[in-house]
Amino acid sequence: MSNRPSRQTSSAQRVRTASKGGRSSTLWIWIGLAALIVVVGVVAIAVGRSSSSGSDDGGAASSSGGTVVPNGDLEYGTVTVEGSDLPPAPRGTGSDEGVGETIPTIKGEAFDGSAVTIAPGGGKGQVIMVVAHWCPHCQAEVPRIQSWLDEDGMPDDVTLTTVATANDPTAVNFPAGDWLREEGWSVPTMLDDQEQTAALAVGTSAYPFFVVVDADGKVVERTSGELDRSQWDALLEAARTGQADST
Amino acid sequence: MASDEPFLRRLLPIETMSPFFAILALLCWAASAALLVGWLVRRAQRGRPGRLETLRDDVGRMALPLAWLVAVVTTLGSLYYSKVQPFVPCELCWYQRVCVYPFAVILGIAAWRRDSAIRVYAIPVFAVGMVISAYHAWIQAYPPSNGTSFCTADVPCTTRYVWEFEFVSLPFMALSAFVIMTALLLVARPTPRPSALQESS
Repeated sequence: MSNRPSRQTSSAQRVRTASKGGRSSTLWIWIGLAALIVVVGVVAIAVGRSSSSGSDDGGAASSSGGTVVPNGDLEYGTVTVEGSDLPPAPRGTGSDEGVGETIPTIKGEAFDGSAVTIAPGGGKGQVIMVVAHWCPHCQAEVPRIQSWLDEDGMPDDVTLTTVATANDPTAVNFPAGDWLREEGWSVPTMLDDQEQTAALAVGTSAYPFFVVVDADGKVVERTSGELDRSQWDALLEAARTGQADST
Repeated sequence: MASDEPFLRRLLPIETMSPFFAILALLCWAASAALLVGWLVRRAQRGRPGRLETLRDDVGRMALPLAWLVAVVTTLGSLYYSKVQPFVPCELCWYQRVCVYPFAVILGIAAWRRDSAIRVYAIPVFAVGMVISAYHAWIQAYPPSNGTSFCTADVPCTTRYVWEFEFVSLPFMALSAFVIMTALLLVARPTPRPSALQESS
């Protein structure tokens, strides 16, 4: 019995000693971790500076010599449609009733108020691309297509027109003109009105939305979603030949 | 238009924050690997006393506060991308958030109380988070051609808001956090409070 208190004391002392020693070594580990995080922060700042200085070049006019979306701060356009709207494109798989229909003539304006017209005929195939500034797929697709345009441009016998629709002042990238300018977008762009008249006229069902039109103004195919390079090339070929890609 | 950007977005530009979080994620993997190697070596030595034992004790004592720190940084990082930056979280992002947000508080309490038994409750949740973030990271790295049932056109799961070093995405960062938090909780050991020691003496 007499030994018991002293055993307890020595045991507690041992734990206390270990705890003290442990505390001093863990202190050094904490200091090391803090230093590591500071180093990571410095590296991140260096990486950030180098990448942002590199991206400054991205806002310039495209190397293909295309027309960068003109200046102007219009938030909504004025759009009129002559002719019948195309039926809405089916979501997912299903036959598209719009194929073979003639697109209506859509008269609208760009971000600076200058006229932009989408019309059937004209002797060239055409691709109409409908984008929404807040749509992540569009945000991903626009720079991708711009890079392809920078590399190879458009075929001589196909035109490309963009419709910036679903403009929402509460969402990101509003107004759409700022976003497209930041992307160095070199494609003539029509700014849709608040009723999305232009987008509905071509039967838009999702974003980004593509309407492929032949030289006579008839719809060859419609599709939506992000495209890879081979799908983009197939789209241009379909507009050029008037034959939908069967693959 | 840069001057119209919110103050926090200018203060914490994504060009800096994404590499920062990406490097932290890679450090999480390095630390997890180190813990695994340490565990294997220790097993081989069958617990013989040595420097490794001392280190294991130190790491065990620090594990709970460290896991809490990871949970806090993960939570703040997640909020940074949705509140400071304009990235809308997708459905899978929300499931991962559910698995980590509460632990920014719970692990703090556990660290304060030195209660390593929290692992019983936390690790199953982290395991769920790990599975979801691994799947999410996979479909961002290799987007399925026919989409996924979680994706919507407005808020797709496959869009890479962040893609550092050609492979570090937001779900990859979440996966890194789940892995290191689990590893830390596995090595965490309770430490007596100094006050408790005083009492026993």
